[in-house]
Amino acid sequence: MQASRARLFKEYKEVQREKTADPDIQLACDDSNIFKWTALIKGPSETPYEGGVFQLAFAVPEQYPLQPPQVRFLTKIFHPNVHFKTGEICLDILKNAWSPAWTLQSVCRAIIALMAHPEPDSPLNCDSGNLLRSGDIRGFQSMAKMYTRLAAMPKKG
Amino acid sequence: MHIVEILTWGSQKQNKEKNNLKHKREKWTTGEESIEGRTTRQTRIKDSGCGRSSGRESAKPRRRKSQKKGRVGSFLHKTSDRQHRERRVFVAAAAMDSEDYMYDSDAEETTYDDDDLYYYSDKEEENIAVGDDDDESRRNKKAKQSYIVLKESDIQQRQENDITEVSNVLSISKAAATVLLLNYNWRACDVQDEWFADEERIRKKVGLFEKPVFLLPNKLGKVELTCSICYENVRVSMMGWVSCGHPFCRECWEKYVSVAIEDGVGCLTLRCPEHRCNAVVDRDSIDLFAKKEDKERYLQYLIRSYIESNKRYKWCPGADCEYTVEFCEGGDDECYDVCCHCNNGFCWNCMDDAHRPVDCETVAKWQLKNSSEAENTAWLLVNTKPCPKCGKAIEKNQGCMHMTCRKPCGHEFCWMCLGTWKEHGERTGGFYACNTFQKNEAEGKYNEDEDIRKRAEKHLEKYTHYYERWAGNESSRKQAVKDLKQMQNDYMVRLSDLRGATDAELKFITDAWLQIIECRRVLKWTYAYGYYLPEDGDKKEKSKKGFFEYLQGEAESNLERLHHCIEKDIHNYLNKERPEEEFKNFRAKLSSLTTVTGNYFENLVKALENGLEDTSSQEACSSQEASSKIKSRTSKKGRKDYG
Ligand SMILES: [Zn+2]
Ligand SMILES: [Zn+2]
Ligand SMILES: [Zn+2]
Ligand SMILES: [Zn+2]
Ligand SMILES: [Zn+2]
Ligand SMILES: [Zn+2]
Ligand SMILES: [Zn+2]
Repeated sequence: MQASRARLFKEYKEVQREKTADPDIQLACDDSNIFKWTALIKGPSETPYEGGVFQLAFAVPEQYPLQPPQVRFLTKIFHPNVHFKTGEICLDILKNAWSPAWTLQSVCRAIIALMAHPEPDSPLNCDSGNLLRSGDIRGFQSMAKMYTRLAAMPKKG
Repeated sequence: MHIVEILTWGSQKQNKEKNNLKHKREKWTTGEESIEGRTTRQTRIKDSGCGRSSGRESAKPRRRKSQKKGRVGSFLHKTSDRQHRERRVFVAAAAMDSEDYMYDSDAEETTYDDDDLYYYSDKEEENIAVGDDDDESRRNKKAKQSYIVLKESDIQQRQENDITEVSNVLSISKAAATVLLLNYNWRACDVQDEWFADEERIRKKVGLFEKPVFLLPNKLGKVELTCSICYENVRVSMMGWVSCGHPFCRECWEKYVSVAIEDGVGCLTLRCPEHRCNAVVDRDSIDLFAKKEDKERYLQYLIRSYIESNKRYKWCPGADCEYTVEFCEGGDDECYDVCCHCNNGFCWNCMDDAHRPVDCETVAKWQLKNSSEAENTAWLLVNTKPCPKCGKAIEKNQGCMHMTCRKPCGHEFCWMCLGTWKEHGERTGGFYACNTFQKNEAEGKYNEDEDIRKRAEKHLEKYTHYYERWAGNESSRKQAVKDLKQMQNDYMVRLSDLRGATDAELKFITDAWLQIIECRRVLKWTYAYGYYLPEDGDKKEKSKKGFFEYLQGEAESNLERLHHCIEKDIHNYLNKERPEEEFKNFRAKLSSLTTVTGNYFENLVKALENGLEDTSSQEACSSQEASSKIKSRTSKKGRKDYG
């Protein structure tokens, strides 16, 4: 408990210090609870998510960093490894491949990488997984783009 | 008037008892769970389906403990030597003969004077002489076991030997050898083959780096590095690393290892905490970093992995039992009953309680039956009817047809015709026979539902008969296990104080109890056996059934006699200073009763295992004939083999 607090505090200071280091990620800690974090990440370029800004919610366990944080998308996203309804993410490093050397920042980076390289073989969103697996890349991309426009971009007017 | 019960359809009171006895087995998952603890696509795919669950394993490294306790008698051990077996049957039959001499109708009152005993043993000796002169092996019924019970330290020793062998052959540390063996299901030859074929690939695969990938500064002394778990700057001398060289502070290591061990068997292939670093955390590192309790649990997992990877070993399912049983294939008869040193008897094949003379399929069928929901429903169907006034389900306990619904309804009606009871009586042919029903039946107005109900009732009656006796013997067996403990902790202590008898001299008491426990177990299973014996078959099958019931009855009374002797007679020698001579007689009597009963049951088990084949050709099934039959049958065998 004390250890996780100390570590999160260090991560917090690091984030403050290098705010501009990674322009694609904006991590912020809840004012009253150091175990609750949110992040805004930019959709990677040359993907259907380009131009969108996606919000992530982190719930950090007391055993952190020995156990991984729970992360989910708050912004709707059409992606084979993200549950369409709950925003839950299927990513190995958030489960059994977690390493305590990961940070919240590096988790964000891994999620951006996942957005660019979906894993259709372990889908949480079957529709998008099926589209990709059946080779209907265009179908997948247009759906993903549509949702990016609907949910992850500032509304016009 | 009899008590009438209201049952809601869900309550199933009667079946509670059944459910208690429902086999509590849960299959404890064995070596199938991958010990490749870390990330593989395989596990990811599995995970993705069920969302977030990361498949955390029970933290306790010991396997499930069942409540079962019991014992398989020594005679259940496999004899690979056929002749030997036949001879035992013969001798057992001889024992039955002489027993007939000794205990006839008023067996309970028989006093056993020296003559009786001598006569008895004389007779037995004679038969042995006819059979074979090697009576040592006959007496030692353990004969040739098809299994060995191993202590945890035995297993540890074997494991250590395997590790040492690999370590010597490959010239690597024992910890590294352990890593390799873990990766190859403890098959030392596979490890060697693979290693010599491509050492580099294997090192990569299992995470044993030859050189560190992270180079530490040359002068370690006061240099500080950032631990990438806690983000503190720590002196290198206070840090630790595995073969890859990635340094973390000791504190973080301890926690990291602890969480992994808490998580389960995956800790055996724990990797370095660094991102995507494949270096394994071997046994030496665990030794270095882990807390004492964690180390102990780690070693438990190591042993568990060893046992579960090897088909020859199984853990005794007995409650809190530490023993492992090694089974040696290759006997000619299929006997899987195993008796652990904890006195728990279990079947090696199906892991249920030891169940000779019944085979594994019958046991599974029977257990399923005992637990099946359908059976419960049928029971309700047969034993309850809705009250014609208020509609609540009413259970008929027993006896007459006069039913009274529970308060506040209180309606009195006839179980048979569901008519009001007031209309019954002299006019309907008396209280015990509802001729409204009989008349309907005679006139062919007989209700088909009633017919189904009748048949279901008959079936259930049969099932209940066997089930009750099966369960009854099981609870007697459990009681006997408890009694044995009392016997050992109390009576035997008193006896040795009072008479200065040594443990060896009092062993006959333990032997008798163990025999009783074993007999209860066999008797229990004979009821499952009896349930599945064909009923309405031809004459042959009927005679088989009759013979079976005769044997079962005899077994029961044999056991009763032994039980009585030890339970009652022993009190005579606990308080008063009876002459030593009498105590000796008691010992001789109890010992011979134990032997006789043991032999009878052994013979019974064999007869049932052979499907009562020898008898099926014969017809009558009166007890006299049946009794002479089993004698002549066995002595014929004896003559054939040894004459
Ligand atoms: Zn009555
Ligand atoms: Zn640290
Ligand atoms: Zn490493
Ligand atoms: Zn045991
Ligand atoms: Zn079995
Ligand atoms: Zn009623
Ligand atoms: Zn009636």
